[in-house]
Parts: sequence; C-alpha cells; structure tokens
Amino acid sequence: MIRTRRGALVASLAALTLGLSACGGADGGGGGDDAAPINIGIIADLSGATGDVGTPYNQGMLAYIEHLNAEGGIDGRQIEADSNDYAYEVPQAEDLYRQYVNDGVVAIQGWGTGDTEALSSRVASDELPFMSGSFAESLTDPEEAPYNFVVAPTYSDQMRVALNWIAEDAGGEAEVAVFHNDSPFGQAPVADGEAWIEEQGLGLGYQAYPMPGGQQNYVGLLSQAQSQGAKYIVIQNVASPAALVARDIADQNLDMKIVCLNWCANELFITTAGEEVAEGHILVQPFAPLAAEKEGHGVITEYIEAEGIDAADVGTSWVQGWYVMHVMAEGIRHAIENNDGEELTGAMIRESLETMGPIDTGGVVGDGTVEFSAESHRGSTSTGVYMAEGGQMVEVEAGATP
Amino acid sequence: MTATGIHHRSYVSELRLRATRAEYVRLALMGVLLVVVPFVLDNYWMSIANTILIAVIGAVGLNILVGYTGQISLGQGGFLAVGAYTSVILSDRMGLPTPLSIAFAVVFTAVIGTFFGLPGLRLKGLYLAIATLASQQIIEFLIRRDIGDFLTGGLGYINVERFSFLGFQVGGRDVFERQWYVILAILAILAVMAGRNLFRTGLGRSFMAVRDQDIAAEAIGVNLTRAKLTAFAVSSGFVGLAGALTAHYSEVVSWEKFTLEVSILYLAMIIVGGLGSIAGSVYGAIFMTLLPVVIRNVANALDSVVPFLGDQLPAVQNATFGLVIILFLIIEPRGLNRLWERIKEFFRFWPFRY
Repeated sequence: MIRTRRGALVASLAALTLGLSACGGADGGGGGDDAAPINIGIIADLSGATGDVGTPYNQGMLAYIEHLNAEGGIDGRQIEADSNDYAYEVPQAEDLYRQYVNDGVVAIQGWGTGDTEALSSRVASDELPFMSGSFAESLTDPEEAPYNFVVAPTYSDQMRVALNWIAEDAGGEAEVAVFHNDSPFGQAPVADGEAWIEEQGLGLGYQAYPMPGGQQNYVGLLSQAQSQGAKYIVIQNVASPAALVARDIADQNLDMKIVCLNWCANELFITTAGEEVAEGHILVQPFAPLAAEKEGHGVITEYIEAEGIDAADVGTSWVQGWYVMHVMAEGIRHAIENNDGEELTGAMIRESLETMGPIDTGGVVGDGTVEFSAESHRGSTSTGVYMAEGGQMVEVEAGATP
Repeated sequence: MTATGIHHRSYVSELRLRATRAEYVRLALMGVLLVVVPFVLDNYWMSIANTILIAVIGAVGLNILVGYTGQISLGQGGFLAVGAYTSVILSDRMGLPTPLSIAFAVVFTAVIGTFFGLPGLRLKGLYLAIATLASQQIIEFLIRRDIGDFLTGGLGYINVERFSFLGFQVGGRDVFERQWYVILAILAILAVMAGRNLFRTGLGRSFMAVRDQDIAAEAIGVNLTRAKLTAFAVSSGFVGLAGALTAHYSEVVSWEKFTLEVSILYLAMIIVGGLGSIAGSVYGAIFMTLLPVVIRNVANALDSVVPFLGDQLPAVQNATFGLVIILFLIIEPRGLNRLWERIKEFFRFWPFRY
C-alpha cells in the first residue's frame, strides 16, 4: 500500500511540474497612463524564403522606431516593439501573433502575403490594425479585411503599371511571361494582370509560370518562356531568384527584358545579378530608393550618418520598412491626439488612419502621400518605374498609375 | 500491492483499463489538471493548450494507422486539409450547422483516407510510405492550385466564420481561447477514450495482428483487406476531425497549413510519444507543440548571454527538432510513453532492479 501511495506522489509531482513549467514567461497587459510605452508586435522574415529583402525591411522598421523614440516618441510615449523572426512559416506567424495579442499590443507589423491573409480575420475580430510587407489587392477591401492597411500600391496595381509600360515600350503586340514566387505572395497579381490586358485591350500575350523554390538556375523556365515567344518577363518574387533569372538570360544571350515588381525591384537585385547583367532591366518600385534623393530621404540620411551606417547598405527594402512604420506611427499619433486621456486601442488607430487624410512621406511613397478611407485601405496607387543603369536605379517614370 | 508486478486473477480484471490504484489517482490528477488549466494560464498559453488538444486528436488518429496497424503514412497533412476544407465549405458556404459539417468532414476524410489506403493492400513499409507521400502531394496540389477556383473562389484562402452552434457563438478575444478550450478538451477526451477502447475490441486487435505479422494474422482469420482499409478509415476520421477543428479554431484555411512538414511533424509526435500507444500520442502532441515555444522562451531569456540563439531562432528550432528525434530513436525508440512506464517500474520495484 505504501508503494502505491508513492506512485501517486510521483504522479502528482510530475503533474505539478508540468503545470508550473507551462505557466512561465508571458506577462500581459498594456498600461493606460500617458508615459506608458506603446506596444507594437513585429512579425519579420529574417531567415526564411524571403529573408533577403525581409531583413533590411525589418532593419528599416526598427531604425525608424529608434529614431522616433530618440525624438521623444509619440506624445512623450516611447514605442516598444517586440520583433521576432518567423522564417516565412505561417504557423510560426500565428503563434507570434497570439503572443503579441496576449502581451497587449495595439498594432502589428507583419510581412508575407500568406500569413497576412491567414491572420486577417483574426486581426479584425481582435481589432488590431495590421500593416505588412504584403501589398496583395485582397487586403485593401475594408469589407473583407477591415483592419489590414496596404501602404503602397498593390501588387496588382504594380502589375498593371508594368503591363502598361511594356505595351508602350513594345509599341503594340508582345508576349509577356510572368515568373512568380510559388506562394500566395507570388500569385497575388497574376490573375489581375491578365484581366487588365483584356480590359485595356493591350494586345499582349500573357502566360504565368510559378518559380519552384531552391533552384540553382531557371534555364528550364526560360526555355518555356522562349517557346512562348516572350520578350518581357515580369517577375513577382524577391531579389535573389530574380537575379538568377537575369544571369541566365545573360548567359544564354536571350533577347528578353525583365520587369521586376516591388520585392525584386531594388539594389539587391542589381548587386546580386551584377551591374552588367542587370543593365537595362526595368524595376517597378513604389518606394523611392535613397539615390533618388527625395525630400523624405532627408531624415533617413541624417539618421544613418549619426549611426555610422553606410548609405550603400540602405536599400529600397530598408526605406520601405522605415516608411511603412512611419505611416503606422502617424496613425497612432493622430489617435492619441484625438482621444485625449483615453486608453489607446487598435480601433482608435484604425479610425484615425481612415479619417486623418493624407499622410506625407516626403515624396518617397508613390506620388508622395498615403491616404486611407473607410471605403478603401489602398494607401496609394502610384509607383515609380526605374531602369538599372550603371548599377543604379535610374528613374524612368515617377508617380505612374495604372 | 504491485511490487512483484501486476497480476490478474480473473479475465474481468485483466480487461480493465486500469489495474492499480495509482492509475486512478493519475486519472483524477489529469482531470483536475484539465479543469485547472483555464484558470491559471493566460490567453497565449491557452492558445498553446488548444493547439495541443487539436494535435492530440490528430496524433491519436495517426497512431492508430502507423503505431497500431503498422501502415506508415506520410499523408497526414493532406488528410487534415480534406477535413478542414470540407467542413468549412459545408458550414460557411452551404450553411450547414458547424457541428454537423464537422461530422460530415470526418466521414468524408475517412472515405478519402480509405481511397488513398488502397495501395496499402499491396504495399508495405517504405513502398507504402512513398504511396502515401503521393497522396499528400496530390491533395496539396489540388488545394494549392485550386483549379476552377472551386475551393477558395480565387482568393487562395478561406476566411472562416466564428464557431457558433444553436445560438451560442464563441466570444471575443477575452474569452475566445477559454471557450474553445472547453470544446476542444471534450473532443480530445472523447478521441482519446475512443482510441483507447478501440484496441480492446476485436477490430482493434485485428489491426495489431496485421502490424505484428500480416501472414499470421490472415492465417488466424483476420480479413487483411478489411482490417487495413478500416484502419485507414478510422485513422483518417480522427485526422479529419483535427483538420476541421483547426479550420474553425484558427478561422482561416490555406494550403500552407497542410504541407508535408505537417505530416512529418505528426510522425515525429507519435515517434517521440510512443508508437502503438494512445497515451504516447498525447505525450508526443504535448511535447512537440511545446518544444518550439519553450526554445523561443529560453532563447529570449538567454538573449543577453547567448545572442546567437535568438538571432538564429528558426534554425535553432529546426536543429533541436531533428536532434530530439534522433535522441529518442537512440535512447528510447518506444518514446515518452515507455519512458514513463520505466519510471513507474523503477519506483514500483524499488529497491530492486526488476
């Protein structure tokens, strides 16, 4: 009998330790008084499939927060950002999200299309404004995704601009191949592009090819595009695979021009592919690169000089992170100023973003301003078009709209 | 009186689920633990508890097939997807009451599972693993490409309405996790009880006979075709339930949640927990769900001392994941359940070795 009791004791001890170990960590709740920091959660891709552009995006975002806090924060309150890597894995993003909600954040900065879509209904019911590196069109409709805000023109709008540019450059008919990341991010603009050609009667042939991940080269895809007769290749992917495509085109002496959208339209694409290989390819990029020296780049230049960061290391993705965070911070500022003394909530920030009018970005995003309304969470529709020339992004068209 | 082992004096006593008083005490403690959990944990840890409960149902299902019937399956992710998509399409698009659509999803997944189990009649071991890998790839292809936009209407994902039944609807973020906990805990307990009792029936025993030696099983009168296909059906039914619950709990369905990685995670759960053991499925589900969370908390806590851990977190998590599986295969191939039994025996026979 004594021994069974010992068994029971061991069992209860085991149960107790299990219970205790599960309780550790996490302390909840954001404060209400004025000096309390503003909690924000950041879901970043540093080591995953899109980490090449996700890392500078995250750095830019954290840099903005540091800059803002050094200037005294928002209304005297510091921004306290919890930033974690999710390696482009949707379940990891969901786990981080739940942790942030429990920690009492008032807004969230996300990253990928897949995870932003996966969380969109959740953020709506939790009333947390959510911005992300994803500019998928489905996120701009407040009826579908009431708490998602898309700062830049959507991938679909960028695709439309790209197709317009191609139609003009080709002077009539041409074949277009679309190489896209094999994920919700890559697929986002594909169908809209095809519809646009039909709607506008652009006379372009259009064929989409998913880019399998982890490839050493894209010769196979290019030969498919070649048999389609494609002269233009629109790439909706991040910089590294796009650079591989550029190299393969150069290696095989193909007469093809790449039109990169957003996440491959950056300096990283040019440096990875090599200056000569990238020469002449087109980059559709709504965020002006540092080299364009817009008014809004002034604060960034000041910041990186003070921090001793080399301007060559600050790519377009970095600038994107900075200004997406800026837009969110302006929304928070407006919410705090217009809800005097009340505890800041996600719903207030949403209302502010919808009603505060245009947010100035000093010419960096699209035509310079980002504006949301209760009917549309599409912050901007205009984007810059650049050409890779001598290793630089040279502006071809500013403020292009579909 | 168990120091010399557990002895039965009648068949009734041998058939009992629990033979010693300590086992009843443990059952009571588990009951208390389940009731206490929602009162001590915060929302974040509740969400992990909920994830564990869903994983328990899925792991029990997979263990029925892999652990008890010996049919290796890499198709778990695909079958979870079948359950998730079926239930959501039935409830949100066709307007069926959610519990009913979940029940349909269970049946439908069982049918699909049986279909993909057909190769199992001819194939064994590694060959079957490849055949079920094919089922995973086929289902993943179908939900990913969504040909004709039938599944998601061109969106690529489906937003799921908040769970409601007979006028009751799961509430907002303050109570969301706790209300789901009640629903999931009940279903997980039912799943575990069903699994546990299945193997006291003739059907369950025929599964084990197939696993141990299929020719001998056939010789003693087990219908191999029936046993294997039923095992696929029963197992897929559990998995379909887990899939449907994932969908309604996380309120979104997209293919990215049902990849091959998920299949492997579940296999890892039952290997670490213990093949051929329902309790092992539970331990494995708890262990493998908590592991990445614990690693992250440790990495965050040690951030100032070993910043490397936090910087390379996903890589560290993957490496630990692999290491744990290897260690279990070497140290205790029969998993956490066997480890627990060994601990019990140690104390039971103490001070003797055996």
